[in-house]
Amino acid sequence: MGAEPVKPKGEADAGKWGLTRPQWKDIQSFVASGLSQLPWGQALFLQIDRPGGGWLRSLRALEPIKKGLGPINNADGLFEEAVTIAFTWTGLQRMGLSDETLKTFTTPFREGMHQEDRRRRLGDEATRGTIVREGLQWSGNVPPEDPSITPAASPKTVHALLLLYDWDEGAVERWALSVQTHLNTQGVTVVHRLPLSLNLDKLDKEIVAHEHFGFTDGRLQPEPYLQPPAGNADETYRWRGIPLADVLLGYPNFHNNNEIAPCPLVPFSDQSTLRADGAPEGYLNLGLNGSYLVVRELRQDVAAFWSSLESAAATMRKQGPHSSAITADWLAARIIGRQLDGSVLCPPGVTAPQNDNFGYLANDPYGFGCPFGSHVRRANPRDGLARDARSGPNLLDAANHHRIMRRGRNYGEKIADRMVDDGKNRGLLFMCLNTDIARQFEFVQQTWLLNPSFATLFNETDPLVGPKGPMTIPEDPLRRVIEVETYVKLAGGEYFFLPSVSALDYLQGL
Amino acid sequence: MVQTVRTVVIEGEPDSIEILQKLIDDFKAEEEGPPPDFVYKYDRLKMRAPALHFMSMSIFEAADYDPIFVIETNFDGLDGPIWAQLEAAIPSLRAMLRCCKRPAGPLGDVYDAISYRDSIFPLAPYLEAHMVKPRIFHLGNRGLDRTRILRESELFVACQDELMNAETRNPNPYRPATASEIHQRLRAALRPKFSWLDEPASPRIPKLENLTDRLRLIGLVLAVLLCLSIPGLLLALVSHSWVAIAISLAAAAMAARAIGDLGDLRQLIPKSASPGGKLKATIAGICGLTLYVLVFSFIGAAILALLTPVTFLGALKANFIEMLKAALLVLAVGLFSVLAILWWLRRLERRDPSQDEPPINDKLMREILKSEDHIVQNHMGSLVLVKPGALRAVLIRIGLVGLGLLLRVTARDGYLGDMRTIHFAHWALVSNESRLLFLSNFDGSWESYLDDFIEKAHSGLTLAWANGVGFPPARFLLLEGATHGRLFKAWARHSMTVSRFWFSAYTEYSVNQIERNAAVANGLRRVRFDNAEDAKTWARNL
Repeated sequence: MGAEPVKPKGEADAGKWGLTRPQWKDIQSFVASGLSQLPWGQALFLQIDRPGGGWLRSLRALEPIKKGLGPINNADGLFEEAVTIAFTWTGLQRMGLSDETLKTFTTPFREGMHQEDRRRRLGDEATRGTIVREGLQWSGNVPPEDPSITPAASPKTVHALLLLYDWDEGAVERWALSVQTHLNTQGVTVVHRLPLSLNLDKLDKEIVAHEHFGFTDGRLQPEPYLQPPAGNADETYRWRGIPLADVLLGYPNFHNNNEIAPCPLVPFSDQSTLRADGAPEGYLNLGLNGSYLVVRELRQDVAAFWSSLESAAATMRKQGPHSSAITADWLAARIIGRQLDGSVLCPPGVTAPQNDNFGYLANDPYGFGCPFGSHVRRANPRDGLARDARSGPNLLDAANHHRIMRRGRNYGEKIADRMVDDGKNRGLLFMCLNTDIARQFEFVQQTWLLNPSFATLFNETDPLVGPKGPMTIPEDPLRRVIEVETYVKLAGGEYFFLPSVSALDYLQGL
Repeated sequence: MVQTVRTVVIEGEPDSIEILQKLIDDFKAEEEGPPPDFVYKYDRLKMRAPALHFMSMSIFEAADYDPIFVIETNFDGLDGPIWAQLEAAIPSLRAMLRCCKRPAGPLGDVYDAISYRDSIFPLAPYLEAHMVKPRIFHLGNRGLDRTRILRESELFVACQDELMNAETRNPNPYRPATASEIHQRLRAALRPKFSWLDEPASPRIPKLENLTDRLRLIGLVLAVLLCLSIPGLLLALVSHSWVAIAISLAAAAMAARAIGDLGDLRQLIPKSASPGGKLKATIAGICGLTLYVLVFSFIGAAILALLTPVTFLGALKANFIEMLKAALLVLAVGLFSVLAILWWLRRLERRDPSQDEPPINDKLMREILKSEDHIVQNHMGSLVLVKPGALRAVLIRIGLVGLGLLLRVTARDGYLGDMRTIHFAHWALVSNESRLLFLSNFDGSWESYLDDFIEKAHSGLTLAWANGVGFPPARFLLLEGATHGRLFKAWARHSMTVSRFWFSAYTEYSVNQIERNAAVANGLRRVRFDNAEDAKTWARNL
């Protein structure tokens, strides 16, 4: 797969999302693209053992990290590898960022993903059966602000995440090992490592990524705009346009009266390459061109998923001739909300839309095609929560106020036979970018995915990432309800700060 | 069935606040227990106050006032028995009241009567004396009393069980059936257990209530129009020449110009409004205005005619032109009054300080967060100071009353704009009308509730809350304001206190689900569906 290095998309990216080329030069490549030209990767979870940013300086001087860590269009010819780095709150603290600056980060980042109230909201309580059996493996282990609260500690503490992407599987593994050796000399330990892939496959003429259950993945992204396009003709903007400010820190949010959300700040200094944009007097903007990265290691039990659906389908088929067409694939498609090949589920008689610019209200208001409770419809309800055609546009706008930019990759190798458990560890390293974690990622998780009263449903949550429970599949005249186990479980996770290139310069100077 | 919202607001004794807090916490622990002699959590309160939907007890504390103890009740029927019921349900209520200040005046004697050691004097008179009526209240499931909500929920669950059990049968008798047949089979299965299915459901909003709501709204509009007409009427007594009309219109135009951003009021027209709809609204507006002028001049002319001794019709004819002129003058001056008020309002709004970073008490915030997201519903209580000034004093009252009446007439299905997540919410003016209290029982998380306000109901919310000190900058009382999402959330969080005790009579059901339960029950009350389409629509709720 991917035997040839791929040409950079540098030229094409100028002007993307309304940003200029100099602006893009300050932004890590991970923000701009899913980097699907580089289908293989390694995720290194770092623990920093010594204070200071010296290790980062030496890491950035290392070939080919020097070339790959930075903007997407920095390569001087061939785009052979990409490097991304992001930090947890404890990581920044360990590197020696001042308390004053640490306080300027957003609350969810400061408190960490596993603060006890947040755990309840995100459905990450062990009692719900959504955590792997051996318990949460890694997090930033952010200490609670109130010393009387016992911290929800995981055995491994992660201070930074280093992502290495390449077009060759073997090369990226060798690369990761050499980086690991180098980091050891700098007082940085790799406490956890995951091999990443996109499971690319040729589908018709297109090469597409698959997640481990076998569904195509990586489509259905929102489209950032610095400012709304003029006129009403832009269909992409209408259906999935979001403010650039929801992906990158330091930009005016047109959805919010063009306000610039607060960014992490450092005291003003003449020497710094950081800019003051949007920062109050006396400060520089550490956040500009950066973002918050949500990372969740979601373990998938592929064989159990498909075996349970095979047996559920067999039981349902016995109910009578009206159920004879039900197969495991049919059920899985209802759970995900898409066909295995990624095409949209539509009610009988409706042609599936060919691109992502569509809503549910006009063609599938009752969920007869794509069930209300399916993962995809919950994760982005589009205009489907509207009560009537009149309120459709408003509800679509409201839904687009809570989008995330997904950048996830599979970890572990592809299963040979989806019905046979090979005992290997695999899943999704869920990663997404957003600037307001509470309004974006946490909202999607709590108010859409795990909401027991989502749309017109009662007492059921997301069939994929939620705890064990029922799922309704609407049908005329009578809906079906299936019972779904939890086959996707959290093994580790944390909120990271993904700095700009100039913020990396600052951090390495600590 | 009518629902009532009443809140008791009492000033706490600063030195006894910790005791009051502990009493409330202990009462909560007891109810969670469950209470002695009761099987389920909160059953004592639920049974002894059988009409109660939601109830909360909280204490608001701030640097500029003594603690305020707030008891919020949302219940069926008219007020009356609720306070005696609460006294029976909350054994420590008397002790809680002892932690509050002794009021001045005759009420002090009542305080003494209820608070001396071993007193058994009823608490109701004292509570009623501190009772505040809401300026606006909104109901998600208007007209559904608690008994009905609970038994229709039980019916819904029984339906689900019946259908679930059928899934295990081969073949499933419900599977090949039509919607009408499903209805027949379900009804037959459930009727023995739910004998009330044979009783007709009482109307949710009685005709009289409906009529009163509409009349009150019309009354308010007429009263406002009358007030706006007063300057014109006075002027018309002196002169009603074309010159005066022209001068008034010119003054109105100048005021409009001085406002500057008047055109932005167009943003209030919904984006989804069709060109046809807009045209209709414009025509309706012009017709309404013409009617207003004609009616006014006709009534004026008729009065003058009656007073003139010549023939009635002749006088009417003679006076009509004069009266029309006078009416136009009243209208022109009225227009000027409206624009002058808007100009004054915008001047205030431009100078109003807004608080971008209100201080947040971390400890209180932690307590608030800890109390949230345990069931599908949540509660919030907020108290803010009202902006000063004569215009604000008038606008907040008209705004709240007007919005309240408008909601009674338009939001009858529970939808507030495009959101339907509120069970009971209300705004009240407290502390001699110097503070605005907001209490809400809603579905989903606080973040999603506030986002609903920001995205789906911001104009109404801004109208109600923009009179609060520190609210994000609003224009014309309706624009922006809440759409400053981040500032608005910070401001709202800052105004909140922890809902120390909070009771919901139906913790599992969202507003939407209660409506779904009601739809299922209404279908099952019917002997049969004559129309296959109706049956299909009904069966989608199952």
